[in-house]
Amino acid sequence: MRETWIVGAASSRYGKMAETAREAATRVAMEAIRDAGLEPKQIGHTFVANCFGLAEHQAHVGPLINSGLGIPEVPSVTVESACSSSSAALHEAFVQVAGGFVDSALVVGAERLSHLTTQTATTFFAIAADYPFETRNGATFPGLYATLASAYRAAYRTTPEMFGAIAIKNHANAARNPHAHLQKEISMETYLASPIVASPLRLYDCCPFSDGAAAVVVSARESIGRPAREPLVVRASARAGAVTGLHDRPDLLGLPSTRTAGARAFRQARLEPREIDFLEVHDCFTIAEVLALEDLGFFPKGTAARESGDGVTARDGRLPVNPSGGLKAKGHPVSATGVGQVVEIFEQVNGRAGGREVPRTGTALAHNVGATGGSCSVHIFSRR
Amino acid sequence: MDGYESGGRLRGLRCPGCGTITATWGLACARCGRPGLEEHGLSDRGRIVAFTVLTVPGDEFLNEAPYAYVVVELEGGGRVSGWMQGIRVEGNVAIGDPVRFVASYKPGVQFARASTGGEASPP
Repeated sequence: MRETWIVGAASSRYGKMAETAREAATRVAMEAIRDAGLEPKQIGHTFVANCFGLAEHQAHVGPLINSGLGIPEVPSVTVESACSSSSAALHEAFVQVAGGFVDSALVVGAERLSHLTTQTATTFFAIAADYPFETRNGATFPGLYATLASAYRAAYRTTPEMFGAIAIKNHANAARNPHAHLQKEISMETYLASPIVASPLRLYDCCPFSDGAAAVVVSARESIGRPAREPLVVRASARAGAVTGLHDRPDLLGLPSTRTAGARAFRQARLEPREIDFLEVHDCFTIAEVLALEDLGFFPKGTAARESGDGVTARDGRLPVNPSGGLKAKGHPVSATGVGQVVEIFEQVNGRAGGREVPRTGTALAHNVGATGGSCSVHIFSRR
Repeated sequence: MDGYESGGRLRGLRCPGCGTITATWGLACARCGRPGLEEHGLSDRGRIVAFTVLTVPGDEFLNEAPYAYVVVELEGGGRVSGWMQGIRVEGNVAIGDPVRFVASYKPGVQFARASTGGEASPP
């Protein structure tokens, strides 16, 4: 395998987008290519994520993006893996570049759902669960994570304040991120007063429905002599799957695909959790951040909720988690989310995370989950 | 494909290799990989192992909210998901509560409290 780098990155602001996912995707793709110091014609393959493109009556958006970039002859493929679609696309790009099939690949994810009502968006999100065995029995996306939260709370006797501390931390980070959807700090009073969406999850435990687009360029080391930016070396690109239905999992106190993908990634990178400087993890709900930190091996089982309240995972803590604000507050434009995490890591390394810098940026991990863990991607990056 | 028969009983599959019982459709065991699952009747009684009370529904439960979404461990083995009508707040239901499968006026697996007498024994 060839050493593979992330050489350029760009993101839209997450939130409500006036333009289509196609336009936003093309725009961030062009920015990422220029950020890398490349021309579009140097891209050998485009990997696109646009899970809910049908909400805009658009499938097969890859050729439209490539044509908009002036490279209609370049092949593209759309990768769908629910909320982990764009990290799955990044994995495919990694395989192509590391394997020597292309020298540079574009990964772009975009989503636009804000033109839908909350009820319709809720219906769309639930489609990524097991439709006949979960969704049709009443499951929604928040409902399924709430079900996991009920099991966790019963097993470890957590308090609402423990989860509130995670929301407050991620909002504080998002308040310093110009790409973030919810650029505002919240207090514990605000958190506790927010209405229940799916017990025990309150509104402020939940990520917003966001529009957004993000892109990175993946290149082989030998094809880019002197990169325009400090590249991220891809130390690991690992994925895993698991049984989708929560009712078919004997253990509801974690996500099995996170455990598997995480173990694979650490093995690939020949690293251990204690060697990671900061993380972007999949916190679609506060409970998801807790499960991620435990399943990836950063905290013993049953302790992450308790420990997070002590500032350990704050931007200036021992292990900064979600300095971008995470899905919780930066936002969750489904198919942009995974690659957006990598944009954050690239910006931290390149000194572009003004006001939300983490103290150490040697090695970072990105963790992205598809729905309730039917899919999971874990990427590990380091500086050269 | 639904895991239940309308107005009838819950339906499941059993792995002849490892004995895993599931309601979810498949050709091979998701636990051990062995193909050739056998039809297996499921109990209509069980206990709640995890749940949520939903106030923001999708299209198909628009008229039901708030309601409970539950994961239920059935007597004799096997877990299914389902929903419970009229559960408006979290305190109305708890992990460990006995429930029974009931005929529903809509698609999907519906449970109701197995009421007082504790007729459902622990799984």
